[in-house]
Amino acid sequence: MSTLNLDLKHPLLLRSLKFVAVVVLLGALAQVMRPVEQPAWEAVQARRSELPLSQIEGALGQGVVFGVLGGFRTILADFTWIRLYVAWEKREAAELDALIRLVTTLDPDSVYFWVNGARMLAYDVPHWRMDDAGGVQILPDARQRAIAEEQAQQAFVLLAQAREFHPNEPKLDLEVAQIYLNRLQDYANAAKWFRQASEMPGAPYYAARTYAKLLRVQGLDQQAYDFLKQLHQELPDGDPYAQKNIVLERIRGLEASLAIPEALRY
Amino acid sequence: MPSHAISIQNLTKDFSVGLRGLKLRAVDGLNLEVEAGQIYGLLGPNGSGKSTTIKIILGLLRPSAGHCQLFGQPCAEVAARRSLGFLPEAPYFYRDLSGRELVRFYARVCGVPRQQIRKQVDSVIELVGMSEAASRKVGTYSKGMLQRIGLAQALVHDPELVILDEPTAGVDPLGAADIADIIRELKRSGKTILLSSHLLAQMEGLCDRVAILHRGQLIREGRVDDLLTQADAQSFVVEGLDPAAQFKVERAIAEAGGELCRVEKTQRSLDALFLEAVNERAQAAAQEVSHD
Amino acid sequence: MIDSFQRMRWIAANTFLEAVRQKFFNAVLLLSVALVVGSVFFQQFDFGSSELKFISDFGFGAVFLFGSILSIVLSTQLFFNELDNRTALTLLAKPIHKLEFLAGKFFGAYALMFCFTFSLSLVLAGLLFWRETVLMGQLAEGFDRGRLIRYGDVFVFGFIQWIKFGVIAAMTLFVGSFAQTNLFTIVVSFFGLVICQLQYIARDAYLGMAAGAGRWLVQGLSWLFPNFQLFNIGDQLVYPVEEPLALVTLGLITAYGLVYSVAFVLLAQLNFRSREL
Repeated sequence: MSTLNLDLKHPLLLRSLKFVAVVVLLGALAQVMRPVEQPAWEAVQARRSELPLSQIEGALGQGVVFGVLGGFRTILADFTWIRLYVAWEKREAAELDALIRLVTTLDPDSVYFWVNGARMLAYDVPHWRMDDAGGVQILPDARQRAIAEEQAQQAFVLLAQAREFHPNEPKLDLEVAQIYLNRLQDYANAAKWFRQASEMPGAPYYAARTYAKLLRVQGLDQQAYDFLKQLHQELPDGDPYAQKNIVLERIRGLEASLAIPEALRY
Repeated sequence: MPSHAISIQNLTKDFSVGLRGLKLRAVDGLNLEVEAGQIYGLLGPNGSGKSTTIKIILGLLRPSAGHCQLFGQPCAEVAARRSLGFLPEAPYFYRDLSGRELVRFYARVCGVPRQQIRKQVDSVIELVGMSEAASRKVGTYSKGMLQRIGLAQALVHDPELVILDEPTAGVDPLGAADIADIIRELKRSGKTILLSSHLLAQMEGLCDRVAILHRGQLIREGRVDDLLTQADAQSFVVEGLDPAAQFKVERAIAEAGGELCRVEKTQRSLDALFLEAVNERAQAAAQEVSHD
Repeated sequence: MIDSFQRMRWIAANTFLEAVRQKFFNAVLLLSVALVVGSVFFQQFDFGSSELKFISDFGFGAVFLFGSILSIVLSTQLFFNELDNRTALTLLAKPIHKLEFLAGKFFGAYALMFCFTFSLSLVLAGLLFWRETVLMGQLAEGFDRGRLIRYGDVFVFGFIQWIKFGVIAAMTLFVGSFAQTNLFTIVVSFFGLVICQLQYIARDAYLGMAAGAGRWLVQGLSWLFPNFQLFNIGDQLVYPVEEPLALVTLGLITAYGLVYSVAFVLLAQLNFRSREL
C-alpha cells in the first residue's frame, strides 16, 4: 500500500500530465480537422508538380533541400536561374546544362524556364561549341550542321519533358517549330509543329499563318490554299492580332498562283 | 455586506523548487482579518511573506492550504477583484502611454461605464496630484510620479479595498508624506486600505492595525497604539526645569515607588525635521514673491 | 460575454499600440518593403513578361519569411515584456480572466500582423502594376490578352499568410505559457515553425512505411503539428497560373488556420492559468 503513495501535486507528475493532455488534445484536433484539411490539401497538391528530391539533392545540398521542402521552391528556382545567367555569360556549357535541368526540376510549372532553357541549348550553345572548335570560318559546314542538330535534339528532349507538365501549352510546340525552322531549316517538321501548336487553346494566330507559309515554301500550294480558306472562316472579326485581311490577301495570292477559276474562288 | 474586507484562515503557501518537489514555505498558517474602513499594515522584513500573501489575496497565486476571502467572496474568483484596487511594488507601466491614457486604459479594463470614464479619470488624477503631468508619457515620469499614477490607476474604478505594496519605497519624505495624506483621505471616504511595507517607521503614524510577519508566520497583530504602548510606563515631557527642580522630581518619583528608567532630551524624527525645514523654506519663498 | 470581449478588445488595442512603437517591428517592416521594392533589380536581366513571376516570387518570399519571424519574435516580446516588467501583475489584479489577457495579447499581435501583411501586399501589388504597365508598352505581343497579373490574388495570398501568422502567434503564446525565458520561446517556436513547414513529408512518408516505431513517430508528428504547406500557395496565385484557386479551397484553408489559432490560445491558457506570477 505504502509503495503506491503518490504525491499527486509533485511538479514532475503535474508537468507530465499536462504534456500528455496537450498531446492528446492536439491529436484529437488533427483528427477533427481532417475533413477540412484533406480536401484542401488535395486541391493544393493537385495543382503542384511533384518534386523529385533525388534529382536536386546532389545539386543543392541538404541545407537548401530543406529550404525547397519548406516552401521556398520557386524562389530558389528564381535564384538558380540568375546563377544560370552567370554561367551563360561565361559560356560554361556544361554548367548551363546542369542548371537548366535543376531549375526546371525545382519549378517545372514555369513555362519560361523550359522555353528559355531550350533556346539557350539550341541557339547559344552551338555557337559556343563552334567558337571553341575554331569558329564558323574554319569549321566545315557538315560539322556545323552536326553540332546544330545535336544541340537541337537536346532542346527537343527538354521540351518533351516540359510537355509532361504542360500538355496544352502552345509555347512549347512553337519553340520546337522555331528550332526546326531557324536552326535546322527543316521546313516539313517545322510546319508539322506549327500546325500542332496552332490547334492548342491560346495559341498565337501567327502559328497557323506560318504553317501555311511553310506549306508554300515546300511547294504544297494547294494544301496551303485549302488550309487558309478554312482558317479565314475560323478567325474572329475585329481582332487585330488575327490579321484576317492578311490571310485573305494570301488566299488571293494563292488563287492567282494556282489559277483558280473565278467561280470557284473563295 | 460582510464586515471583514479580507478574511484569511490558516493560509499556507509552498513553492516548489526544481523538479524534485522540494518545497519552500513562504506563508505558514496565517490567520488574519481586516475590517472594512481601516488602514491595515502588513509589515515585516524582506522575505517575510508579505508579497506572497498579497498575491494570494489578488488571486494571482493559489494557496497550498487555507482560505482567503474578499468581502465574503473567495479571492480566486475574478468577481472578487471588482471591488479591489492594487498598486504593485516599484510599479512599471506602459512607457509610451500618457498618464491619462494609462489610467483610462485601466478604467476600461475594470469596466467603468463609458460615460463616467472621463470624470473618474480626471478625478483620481487630481486626487493624486498628477493633473499637470497627466499628458506626458509615463516613460518620462520620476519614481514618485510613477507611484502617484499607480495610485490613480488603482483608484479609478472606485474600489472598496485598496492594496498598496510598498507605496513609499524609493520615494522622498515629501512624496511619502503626500502619499500618506492620500491614504488618510481614502480612509475618510470609507475605503479599506491594506498597506505592505518594510519601512516600519513610516507606517507607524498611518495604520490603525498592523500584522507583523516573519518567515511566513504572524508574530504580532493588533492596534498600533496597543502594540506600541508600554502599559507599565509613562513618559512626561517637561520644559523649564532647572537641575535642582529636576532632582526634586526624580526624588518624588522614587518616593512614590516608581523607577525612573531614563532621562533624555526629546527628539523629533529626521522625517519631521526635513518636512519642517522644507515647509519653512517654501513659506519664506512664497512671502518673498508676494512682497515683490 | 460582451464585457469579456470589451476587455479583450482594450487589451488588444493596448498591445497593438505597444507593438507598433517597437523598433523591431518598424525595422522588419522597412526591411521587407525594401526587399520587395528591390526586386525591380530583376529588370536588369531582361526576362520579358516573366520578370513579373520573379517579382511576385520574391515578394511572396519576403512576406513569408519576415512575417514568420515577426510573428514569433513580436508575440514573444509582447508576452514576456508584460511578465518581466510586471505590468501583467497590475493587469491581472483587475477583474479580468487570464484567458482574456492571453486572448487580448494574441489579438493585438494579430492586428499588427494584419497591418504588416496588408502593407506588404499593397507594395507588391503596386510594384507589379507598375512593371506590368511598362512591360505591356515594351512587349505588346506577350500581353495580347490583356494584363497577366491577377491583382486580387496578391491580397488573397496576403490574407492566407495572415491566417498562418495567426497560427504561428498562437503557437508562440502556447510555448511562452510554459517557458521561462524569451530566448527559449523564440527558439522552440522557430523549431515548431520548421516542423510545421515540413510536416507534410511525415504525413506522406508514414503512408508508405511498415508498422513500427518509425511509423508511429512520423504519424505522431503529422498529428501534433499543423500543416503549413497548406498556406504555401503563392505559386498557385497571381501569375502565371491560368485558373484561380477555388473559393472553397481558400475557405477550407482559412477555417483550418482559424481553428488552430483558437486551439493554441486555449492550450496556452491550460498552462497559463496555473502559472504563478
